[in-house]
Amino acid sequence: MKVSFQALSRHVDLSGVTTDRLAEVLPMLGLEVESVHTFGLAPLPLVVVGEIVSFEKHPSADRLSVCRVDVGDGNPRQIVCGAKNFQAGDRVPVALPGTVMPSGTEIKVSKLRDVDSAGMLCSSEELGLGKGEDGLLILTPQKPVLGTPLNKLFGAPDTVLEISVTPNRGDCLGLRGVARDVAAALNLPLKPLTVKTPAGLAAAPTAQDAFGFVRSSSEFCPYYTLRTLKNVKVGPSPDWLRRDLEAAGLRPINNVVDITNWVLLELGQPLHAFDAAKVAGGIEARPAREGEELVLLDGKKVKLETGICVIADAQRPLVVAGVMGGAESGVTNATTTILLEAAWFKPGEIRRVARRLGVSTDSSHRFARDVDPAGVELASRLATDLLIELAGAEVVGPVVVVGQPPRTDANIALPAGYVAAKLGTAIADADVTQAFQRLGFTVSPTSTGFSVLVPSFRSDVTRPIDLVEEFIRIHGTDKVPAGRPIAPLPGDEDTRSSGFTREVAIRLAGAGFTECCHYTLRDAAEVARTLGEAATSQLALENPLTADQSHVRASLVPGLTAALALNVSVHADPRGLFEVGVVFRPQADGTVREFLAVAFAAPAESLVRSWKSREAFDILRAKRLLSDVATLAGVTASRLSFGVATGGLWQADHASSLVDRGRSADGACGVLDLRWTRSLGLKGSIVAGEFLLPRSTFADALRIPRFEAFSSFPPATRDVAVIVPTTTAAGEVLNRVQQAAAKAAGKEFALESVNCFDVFSGPGLPEGTRSLAFEIRWRHAARTLTDEEANRAMATVIAALEKGAGWTIRS
Amino acid sequence: MQQQLAQLVASAQQEALAVTSRAELEAFKARVVGPNGSLTAVMKGMATLSKEERPVVGKLINEAKRSVEELLAALLLKVEDAEIAAALGAPWDATLTGPDAPAGSLHPLTRTRERILASFRKLGFTVAEGPEIETEWHCFDALNTPADHPARDMQDTLYMPKAFRSADAPRKGEEALVLRTHTSSVQVRTMLSRKPPFRIVAPGRCFRRDAVDATHSANFHQVEGLWIDRNVTLADLRGVLDFFVKETFGPDAEIRLRPSFFPFTEPSFEMDLRSPNLGRLSNRWLEIMGCGLVDPKVLEHCGLDPAEFSGLAFGLGLERIAMLVHGIDDIRHFYNNDLRFLRQFA
Repeated sequence: MKVSFQALSRHVDLSGVTTDRLAEVLPMLGLEVESVHTFGLAPLPLVVVGEIVSFEKHPSADRLSVCRVDVGDGNPRQIVCGAKNFQAGDRVPVALPGTVMPSGTEIKVSKLRDVDSAGMLCSSEELGLGKGEDGLLILTPQKPVLGTPLNKLFGAPDTVLEISVTPNRGDCLGLRGVARDVAAALNLPLKPLTVKTPAGLAAAPTAQDAFGFVRSSSEFCPYYTLRTLKNVKVGPSPDWLRRDLEAAGLRPINNVVDITNWVLLELGQPLHAFDAAKVAGGIEARPAREGEELVLLDGKKVKLETGICVIADAQRPLVVAGVMGGAESGVTNATTTILLEAAWFKPGEIRRVARRLGVSTDSSHRFARDVDPAGVELASRLATDLLIELAGAEVVGPVVVVGQPPRTDANIALPAGYVAAKLGTAIADADVTQAFQRLGFTVSPTSTGFSVLVPSFRSDVTRPIDLVEEFIRIHGTDKVPAGRPIAPLPGDEDTRSSGFTREVAIRLAGAGFTECCHYTLRDAAEVARTLGEAATSQLALENPLTADQSHVRASLVPGLTAALALNVSVHADPRGLFEVGVVFRPQADGTVREFLAVAFAAPAESLVRSWKSREAFDILRAKRLLSDVATLAGVTASRLSFGVATGGLWQADHASSLVDRGRSADGACGVLDLRWTRSLGLKGSIVAGEFLLPRSTFADALRIPRFEAFSSFPPATRDVAVIVPTTTAAGEVLNRVQQAAAKAAGKEFALESVNCFDVFSGPGLPEGTRSLAFEIRWRHAARTLTDEEANRAMATVIAALEKGAGWTIRS
Repeated sequence: MQQQLAQLVASAQQEALAVTSRAELEAFKARVVGPNGSLTAVMKGMATLSKEERPVVGKLINEAKRSVEELLAALLLKVEDAEIAAALGAPWDATLTGPDAPAGSLHPLTRTRERILASFRKLGFTVAEGPEIETEWHCFDALNTPADHPARDMQDTLYMPKAFRSADAPRKGEEALVLRTHTSSVQVRTMLSRKPPFRIVAPGRCFRRDAVDATHSANFHQVEGLWIDRNVTLADLRGVLDFFVKETFGPDAEIRLRPSFFPFTEPSFEMDLRSPNLGRLSNRWLEIMGCGLVDPKVLEHCGLDPAEFSGLAFGLGLERIAMLVHGIDDIRHFYNNDLRFLRQFA
């Protein structure tokens, strides 16, 4: 909302208030000032009226003219000019050297393409007067005296403050409302509003009226007024009215439309004027009927949604109530009798309909924010005053009123001490009372505190807590001291997942990985690559803004891979990258679950050249890292099992999946699909890992480790090598060795560890087999194990392993 | 005899020069002090000497023996040095660039988040979380923003299709699921699941249907705060925010509460910050976060009696704070993942 300082001054005396002060006061009332600009001609003492005595083409620039300009000092000067819209003898604004233009540029004596130029001939836009005609501002018709400062031809400049009005403050979508707040804040009186047209009411049209009936059958229009004015002379508005509209950013149209707009700006109450000649029979606010259509003021033909409130005559809808007028029934230059509508429409419905039609008008914006029912009739009278004064209109009969104002002033019982209790500081009753009175509220004491009568223009103030806000707006938030010291609440803990999020990031950063942050919203192709084509429909948004942000992400790995590619392309020497964040996965039961994902990716071979080669980042290091991540999340190594990774991100046979057997957490690690990573411009292979944790992982209470006593006697250690088919997974062999070794220990002593220390295939072994060698360690709690006991246990292990299909013990 | 011993020592010293390895050392030791060593032989000859000669010769032999032992000790050091040098190889040039990757780094948003959470932890706030895809009720209705409320125009929302079902945010009836527009939804979940008093901070991702530019992002991060107790006041809000701002921006930073509007707080404020240490943004009021006292309607929606409990709430943008703290001028840097940006926060 654009607030002109001069217009605001009509409602409150701002003679002692600078615009800077106003720009400080408004934000502290909750009316944020977005910008402040000058409207009209800023003080420019060195811009004067000059006459172009003669001109000729610039010798070396087709577009430029070299003008001889007389500014009345008897000493014509030469000025180079790029405009084309002038003739010799025209009077134009001349900025003399030394002028600082509204844009900030200083005009100097200079040369333009080697021709001297002592000033600048100005266009309307260059003077900060808005975009006028192309070229120079021609002053010739006004016949100004040469040398007259331009400011003498224009009035004093105004300041316009663009304020943003929050949705609760519909009353500040009119100057009167803003003025009320300013007056309250500065403790100045609000100037009275004088309206000449009397408040005469009629319940039904009379014989004199231009219409036969006025009624409302729409629940969305509980209060409707209509007034007839005849002998209206439609024409241009006077300068002051045009100026006010332009200052507020509206385009003047004709006096009737301009008057309704001016009242809207002044009071925040939208009005509508019909051409009575185009209204058949009468006016009714009614639900739109099925199949009805309407050509709107903007020329668009719309199908009206059944049931929305329209203003119709006996035959057809004329207006979408409160939102936009129709093209046919509006005021034109030929109009002589008008019907002036002032009404109140249900805010929620207006908002819904406007959104549905995809329009936001000055009218719908205000109705949606609940206009003051008490202001409906006032606005109609104010507009009538102006129609009489500026368009020669004559009032026909009294205003016809249908229904009743839906709200009146509201009484709020404010308990004694309530405001102070909410603020947490002592406040005198007198201060509270005074703040409310300044806002125009009426305060009277009651046995339990106060009764506060809030006028209907403040529909947002209905409860004691709302009065607290009103008080603090006027009293000033800076007067509230900082509160009591705060002690922590015992037993409160961060959610475990938040601790994990922090710790895992520190762990991975410590391991040399750099943390990334990617958008959650991805394109369909990425989801298809990650989970297959079928998943794309499950993770799609209903109303994406752009095609590349149409889905929620299923994995962090594609983002990291793209980041590696980006950093290769910008020569930023990428090493390892990681990310922690939420991803979305369709579940077997048809739902989509959120997982906290941790992912990392790095080139297998460093992309940075080095004089000394280092160990490659391979699947086993990725597996180690992923196991560490799992442990940090409380998923112990014993719960993890590794399998074959499937899916489009991973290279077949060179990646592994992993599953948390305890919960549905899962993940994968290994080499990323080479065709894909190569297509992104990544040369070597990229090794990555990702672990997905459902929220349930963090539901378990954190396990507190319990001490277990350990033996002070030495262990017995035995080695065994098993020859197995190469197709048999090492994990399977390890499991068998562990089971056999644990069983062999029986109850007497215990298996401590099984460690794979050698993997071999080649000469000496049958084709298609490999040898896996394990070190088994047993220990007794209370004594040293004998050789005999260890040998016996070993024999049991060997016997068990020989039962494996195609397995032999290497001796 | 004296001469014989002197000669023996001199020749051992001469021989020692050739010793370079542990094996040679052992052989040399055997030749001199071994059972058949030259010095041993002389010592054995003592038996043949007269009673008068023995003390004199004994003294000479002891001197020779000490010389030989010193020689052997020196040789051992020399041999060990040689062995260590061989094991370690050529000396290092520590000025040579290391081949290993430098330590990684945390993302600036993570750093900022942890810094913010740490300061609120000091005030007894603990971290709470909630789903990124939320029900409309948790995101709007419970927060006093019904469907026809103009406040819904304040933010454009991304919706999930009707068929979408979330395992983490089951919906009631026909209500829609949305990508949460603020972490205020975590307020609602906390009030529904816990008994006051509590103080929580909820960091997380939020989404708006916004075109991306230097200050707007389709997703961004918020930290939401909520304190519910008996008699929580505006003074408490001021105290909490003042503490946070001084922790984050230094003791010279000051705040002001500017009246504003949010459907879920009453009274509502924008908190502005002014600090002398913010580069070109120094010494002017900057909008940092929305805050206020929890609207009684929100308490009611969440099953709390507004006559008994009151609360304060605030929500700040992580990107905004990180941009101010680090002097970052474009929000897109956070999501581009250019290492030339990320490494600046190592």
